[in-house]
Amino acid sequence: MDVDKLFKSDIHRKIIAFFHENQASIDTPRGVATWIGEERSRVISALEDLVKSKILVAHRATSTTGYSYTRDNKIISKVTKLLKKS
Amino acid sequence: MEEIKNYIYQKELFDRLKKSISLKREEECIGCLIKPAAWWILEKPNPKVSDMEKLIDASCPYRKKNEKRKRRSCIKIVFAAVRKSATDKKLTKYTCAQGLHGFVYPIVQGEKTYGYIGTCYTKKEVSPQILNIFSAFTDTIVREIQKELELSKLYETLRPRAIALSTVHTVHRLISSTLDLNELLPRIARLSLQIMRANRCSIKLIDSKRKLLLPKVTIDLRKKKIRLKKVRVGKWAPGKAVKYGRTIRGDNYIATPLIDEDVIGVITLYDKVDKKEFTAFDQEIMSTLAEQAVIAIKNAQLYKEQEKLTMGSIKSLAAVLDRRIPSSRIIPRASFSKISIATGQKMRMDSDSLRSLEYASILHDAGEIVVPDEVLAKPAKLTGKEYELVKAHPSAGVEIIKHMKALKSVTPIILYHHENYDGSGYPRGLKGDQIPLGARIMAVVGAFEAMITQRPYRSVKSVYAALEEVRQNAGTQFDPKVVGAFLKVMKRRDIRSVLEKELYGRR
Repeated sequence: MDVDKLFKSDIHRKIIAFFHENQASIDTPRGVATWIGEERSRVISALEDLVKSKILVAHRATSTTGYSYTRDNKIISKVTKLLKKS
Repeated sequence: MEEIKNYIYQKELFDRLKKSISLKREEECIGCLIKPAAWWILEKPNPKVSDMEKLIDASCPYRKKNEKRKRRSCIKIVFAAVRKSATDKKLTKYTCAQGLHGFVYPIVQGEKTYGYIGTCYTKKEVSPQILNIFSAFTDTIVREIQKELELSKLYETLRPRAIALSTVHTVHRLISSTLDLNELLPRIARLSLQIMRANRCSIKLIDSKRKLLLPKVTIDLRKKKIRLKKVRVGKWAPGKAVKYGRTIRGDNYIATPLIDEDVIGVITLYDKVDKKEFTAFDQEIMSTLAEQAVIAIKNAQLYKEQEKLTMGSIKSLAAVLDRRIPSSRIIPRASFSKISIATGQKMRMDSDSLRSLEYASILHDAGEIVVPDEVLAKPAKLTGKEYELVKAHPSAGVEIIKHMKALKSVTPIILYHHENYDGSGYPRGLKGDQIPLGARIMAVVGAFEAMITQRPYRSVKSVYAALEEVRQNAGTQFDPKVVGAFLKVMKRRDIRSVLEKELYGRR
């Protein structure tokens, strides 16, 4: 899935916008769900989609998984453009 | 700075006030009663006469008819009313040069006046009751807007802090989930890089003499090859952070000491991705992260110590048990452990299970202590009764280790390592996957060890012949998947060389 496609989904767009705005953040699905006001189960699946498309990075541990924003400048500038459009 | 903040606050306050639907409704309601010619809002707390001129010219419907003299006196009257309302901090009435009426209402918060709302040119003098209603209504609207502003200001201040706090909490969970230092330190470095959006992170721990900082992890996202450098305590930013026990921050680096009871090391970050400086907020976040990192590092170090202690006890116990074994029999302990662990890794066992397998590889035959010497050393075939004694050794092994809590997970491996894949083994005749994976691995490696080392009841086999026999018994005595993994491991040069050194190096 590419960034443009993911941007069409409301929950994906919300997550991307959250991490774009808070690029230093590392959060669990529970935390992300709180910040964007969405249901946790939906957030988990969306987070994994974003990891597959390399917009997010997953830090996996036995007790939980932390998600953080990509460091790829190409992806970041593409997201900046898409966020300005939306 | 305070002035800028005030200016922004004032601007936002008036922007909201101008857009306020409540204020528009109030103007309509009060307007019906007093029919003013104009409403005006003055955004300056200390207006000048020129501001009043602009205001009168913009709002006075009689300005064209006004003579110059009258206009000037009009401006003076309204200006005086504004000044009076600012001093009294309450509504002030006035009568202009045209003989018409108006009032000025100051927008006040605490001791501070932000601006004014007023009316002009009402034909009749406004009654005190209407003025009271206006004051109460306007006051409520202004307070509501001020509360909204305070809330949004609070939200803007608190939200990033709350997100940062949540990040720190997540990092704490991520780093406290491992007790393996080799896994922990790179994880701390990666998470620090992410939080600080920096390009390079280095973690150094202090040596036992407390003179040098030893590099443990350095990650540089811009380079593939990195040279790990030792740093003397007191030198450079990391050395200074350790020496003085406080964060050392420069434009492009931040060195945060890892402090437990004493300083144990330092995390240093270099070069932010956006090329900005490290800030006081970064320092605050890194200090919190370092506090958590210290706890995790200490726990991992303690765990490592505990592991060494357990391994020491196991080796001592094994050494005691080995004294019963004839000196001619060489036990390749090191290679036996290596083969077991490598086979376990091939079978995708987790780190805890691999550790249990390692312990079991040393102690799996501990129970032989209950088997009489003459039975163990008997060169001929065992009688039924003697075989029963030998079959009791796994249970006896469990009895020996059961008081060591650290070896609880080793128990099933020792108890079932003589079970056969087809169910023909002992002590319980378990079959296939009923046998724990560790025990299935131990069965293969244990049998291989028995074949290649001197036993009273059989001659020593070559490594090649022993491997062939293991292969032939896959699916009957041994789990075929385990045999596959074991045979792959035995092709490894490092494993073969350790084994050959142990077997033949001493001959």
